[in-house]
Amino acid sequence: MYERRVRLALAKPPTVLQVEAANSYAHIATIANHLYITEQTANILKRRTEIFAAPILADTRALKKARYLRRWARRLTDFAFSSEDAIVLAYGSFGLDVESKTVGVDAIITTDIRLAEHYERRHGEIKHRFDDMIVNLPETYAVLRLPQVLTTAAILAMV
Amino acid sequence: MMEKLTVDAEGKIVIPPEVIQKRGLHPGDELTLVESAEGLLVYQGGVDEKTLAWWNRLDDRQRLLAEDYALRDENLSEHEQDASWNQEAESIEIEAESDELDLPTN
Repeated sequence: MYERRVRLALAKPPTVLQVEAANSYAHIATIANHLYITEQTANILKRRTEIFAAPILADTRALKKARYLRRWARRLTDFAFSSEDAIVLAYGSFGLDVESKTVGVDAIITTDIRLAEHYERRHGEIKHRFDDMIVNLPETYAVLRLPQVLTTAAILAMV
Repeated sequence: MMEKLTVDAEGKIVIPPEVIQKRGLHPGDELTLVESAEGLLVYQGGVDEKTLAWWNRLDDRQRLLAEDYALRDENLSEHEQDASWNQEAESIEIEAESDELDLPTN
């Protein structure tokens, strides 16, 4: 979305991924209660040019890491996810919204088709591993769920 | 909405009539074909609501400022742009777990 705004300011056409990201973001914003970003994304946006980044930061909440987020991310790497992808997927279950005191998200939206396909393909095994982990955590963690992983293209197909 | 289009022997594609009507296209209207590593985009030049709302909130001075900043961003090398987005990468190692928070109990 950031880069889409940069292209607009330059009066240049956006790239395919920029259009997919910006259009799906606009659609999701109309139906989701809250839009979340990871702490890493929030920190990066805070360092980028304010005129492009500030509205995105204002529209979204940065999730904090609940305890055991990284433990789950390490387990996800056993399913051949990179550590970068694993931590984002782990935010989907262990990402904490300190304002609403809720944890996890309904869906992670990505432009990465291969990530979404891989997650879908291994979902049964991932769910089994997730349930095995959660059952051994304190009772407050029993509410945690796995998120859906949807591509921006899939979001646009719903519009 | 996504449509699958088929390229004919002359390299032409036909946009379905319902899309033509929905987008308000007329014969002679110009579309931009954007080619990039991810694929091809037939682009009408429209802007999504969120991006448009942001742009419309900017006054003339802010738009000029945005253009200056955008030029500066575009002039960053690919390496600098990647480095900018990859900074502060989050570790998944046990040693990094000290910033994790307990879940609220209520």
